[in-house]
Amino acid sequence: MLERCLGQQRVRRIQRAVRHAKVTFLCLFMTVVVMRGMLGAGKFGTPAQDLDDLTTHFYASRKHAEPHRVLVEAQPENENENQSNDPKNYATFDFNKILKDEGGEDEKPDPNKPYTLGPKISDWDEQRGEWLKRNPNFPNFIRENKPRVLLVTGSSPKPCENPVGDHYLLKSIKNKIDYCRLHGIEIFYNMALLDAEMAGFWAKLPLIRKLLLSHPEVEFLWWMDSDAMFTDMAFELPWERYKDVNLVMHGWNEMVYDQKNWIGLNTGSFLLRNNQWALDLLDAWAPMGPKGKIRDEAGKILTRELKGRPVFEADDQSAMVYLLATQRDTWGNKVYLESGYYLHGYWGILVDKYEEMIENYHPGFGDHRWPLVTHFVGCKPCGKFGDYPVEKCLKQMDRAFNFGDNQVLQIYGFTHKSLASRRVKRVRNETGNPLEAKDDLGLMHPAFKAVKVSTSS
Amino acid sequence: MGQDNGSTFTTQKRSSGGGSALPTTNGRAAGAAARTMIPRGRQIHKTFNNIKITILCGFVTILVLRGTIGIGNLSSSEADAVNQNLIEETNRVLAEIRSDKDPDDPADSTDEPQFLSLNDTYTLGPKIVGWDQQRKVWLSQNPEFPSSVNGKPRILLLTGSPPNPCDNPIGDHYLLKAVKNKIDYCRIHGIEIVYNMAHLDKELAGYWAKLPMIRRLMLSHPEVEWIWWMDSDAMFTDMVFEVPLSKYSNHNLVIHGYPDLLFEQKSWIALNTGSFLFRNCQWSLDLLDTWAPMGPKGPIREEAGKVLTANLKGRPAFEADDQSALIYLLLSQKEKWMDKVYVENQYYLHGYWLGLVERYEEMIEKYHPGLGDERWPFVTHFVGCKPCGSYGDYPVEQCLKSMERAFNFADNQVLKFYGFGHRGLLSPKIKRIANETATPLEYMDQVDIRRPVHGDESSGSSETKS
Repeated sequence: MLERCLGQQRVRRIQRAVRHAKVTFLCLFMTVVVMRGMLGAGKFGTPAQDLDDLTTHFYASRKHAEPHRVLVEAQPENENENQSNDPKNYATFDFNKILKDEGGEDEKPDPNKPYTLGPKISDWDEQRGEWLKRNPNFPNFIRENKPRVLLVTGSSPKPCENPVGDHYLLKSIKNKIDYCRLHGIEIFYNMALLDAEMAGFWAKLPLIRKLLLSHPEVEFLWWMDSDAMFTDMAFELPWERYKDVNLVMHGWNEMVYDQKNWIGLNTGSFLLRNNQWALDLLDAWAPMGPKGKIRDEAGKILTRELKGRPVFEADDQSAMVYLLATQRDTWGNKVYLESGYYLHGYWGILVDKYEEMIENYHPGFGDHRWPLVTHFVGCKPCGKFGDYPVEKCLKQMDRAFNFGDNQVLQIYGFTHKSLASRRVKRVRNETGNPLEAKDDLGLMHPAFKAVKVSTSS
Repeated sequence: MGQDNGSTFTTQKRSSGGGSALPTTNGRAAGAAARTMIPRGRQIHKTFNNIKITILCGFVTILVLRGTIGIGNLSSSEADAVNQNLIEETNRVLAEIRSDKDPDDPADSTDEPQFLSLNDTYTLGPKIVGWDQQRKVWLSQNPEFPSSVNGKPRILLLTGSPPNPCDNPIGDHYLLKAVKNKIDYCRIHGIEIVYNMAHLDKELAGYWAKLPMIRRLMLSHPEVEWIWWMDSDAMFTDMVFEVPLSKYSNHNLVIHGYPDLLFEQKSWIALNTGSFLFRNCQWSLDLLDTWAPMGPKGPIREEAGKVLTANLKGRPAFEADDQSALIYLLLSQKEKWMDKVYVENQYYLHGYWLGLVERYEEMIEKYHPGLGDERWPFVTHFVGCKPCGSYGDYPVEQCLKSMERAFNFADNQVLKFYGFGHRGLLSPKIKRIANETATPLEYMDQVDIRRPVHGDESSGSSETKS
């Protein structure tokens, strides 16, 4: 019929064209099929094994993105089958059954009002002065040049995600207990989130304010992160140096004021005097903290304004750098950026040198020769994700702990067998006259613990 | 056969090879009659060509598909392998940390550990004599380290836990909470804490480890009047109550227990060594020396355990523990020691947790802190829970819930000072119980725990920590 319409030659040409078209379509179709096969053949009813392979492939490629950080509890499921019915076995217990989030909702903040840490107080110095006068038994100075200090630290009330995280928190608080006992400092270990708006690293602000207002007898509040450890037990802070300042942080003036470097100072370990200035500073510091849009937006501002800051939500340290750099006239004269000793010591440059320090120096320096504080920034032993490999962090924390613990044990004549070992060995024999024994560092009865000698006992 | 079939044959092949019906095939079917014009050889040739192309394309398709998935297999297993390696390494590190192995153990640690034989006598250290006199002289020479601060004798709280992580992570979490609880109580009452994580004497490991440490602290700190041992599984639940030390001016050991259980029934739980106070004096050193010999692990401890089980009522058979040994010692040498031992049961210097923790809500409703006894227990002691190990004597859920409740019950008394409280005894979250004001010191004056206790005495508080 077509031939009759068009003529035989033309028909044959058409046929050829059609054949070519068919081949083209075939190849095109094959290409599409192959591409679908590469991207999503699972939907096409390929053999079950291929489907499984593909799903594993995709899941594994997602996990591959963070290899160093995953800390997984080794719970071989099959091993526990025979234990799963035993109610007295701790290994098979799911802790989530314990905590009950009972009654009451979170306080819903008024979205129209700007965030405040609390009602504005303007006469704190007077209130505090009166209270101290009325309570002479709670003096703010224990001795001349020795202010009453409260060390504040804390951690979450829920167990750590990392199975050994709580163990390292325990060692860290033992380390702080030791230093504070030797230096006559009180400790407040916080496990409560006072303000849900200021969660995470900002949680310290409402806590600090609350403690300053509740403890007028405290002259200095010393905030210390839970991942910081004391490594110089003999070093007493130079209180006279700070008699005219209200905030002492480890840092460098050039890096904060000139370079606006986001790590120009460190808020993991700092001193804050209990006075009106401190309350005002906290009020000026807090506005970047409330979680959500405010914190994210503030984070962008900080990344833009500060040198070297990566992109993430606003943190208290960057906010402090920004505050000081932009309002130097208001705050700068009462802030002391200490770099003479390691009020905060970044662990990365310190932990490998401990043996060298033991050989060449002795406790009491507080600086690069024998750091006061070794701060494990970025390790996050309580969480599942840190910025450094697990092995390095935990092993070094053990070493730092033992380095500090050796100084305490030597009071009693012992020391760890090595910086990596939990076992201790005797280094001073017991005698029948224990009171004649003196420890090398003089920490048994150090001068900074002496009571003011008064006429009444 | 014939051209009609040939043409149908051709069209069928076409449609199967093409996969979609092209309009021309139908046209072809319709115009099958016209086919007779084309020679058969060429038809077959064309057919074969088509078949070849079809098969080739199909084959290539399958190959490529298979090849894609196959390659996918290889690459995913590579990433998987790398990730698996890292997870394994992490787990290896964790397992190493949690094991008992130590890098400084001698290479031949697989040998049998050396135990003291039954004939060896064990001593805590060189015999000290005249300690009371030595101490008095030292105190007079060192007036800046007095044994009393603001009228209160100096107390040192000693507690501790093993140096390696617990068998299960929850154990460490509760050790942490227990130490926070002790820090709070001791801060409020001006008591110093020593948290021991070292085995000073490898012979006296386990529950016996407290003995060398108590002795060591007594001898190193003559300014300390009382050493208070407290187990790591005991928590303060009355933050206001203070140990009435004036009651014990003629005694050197204060321990919770029941005299009738002790003397009449000779029960192995007549006293509890989970929480007790030792005065820093010669008598205490002598008692420690007499107490220690049942402790050294190995055959001595085993044999001693048998003696204790035979002599004490209700004691199961296991190696000697410090509590049974002390009871046995005080019973067998009653005349020598008992006049200086105060067996306290007026308040819960040790409070057995079962029977107490369920009543917390009732206590909150009816009573108030400061009583220290069954109305508001001073110490809640979780005997038998063993959260640091793998197995306890009680169901895990019951133990952990009770420990959480006790912790929050105590924490509420601390948080009240700051105007907060837990939302429930099992809740980690807190709620405000007092509004923030611009004059915070007024609220504080009403709720300060420290002041009513200390403010009455003329020399007041114990805030000075030195």
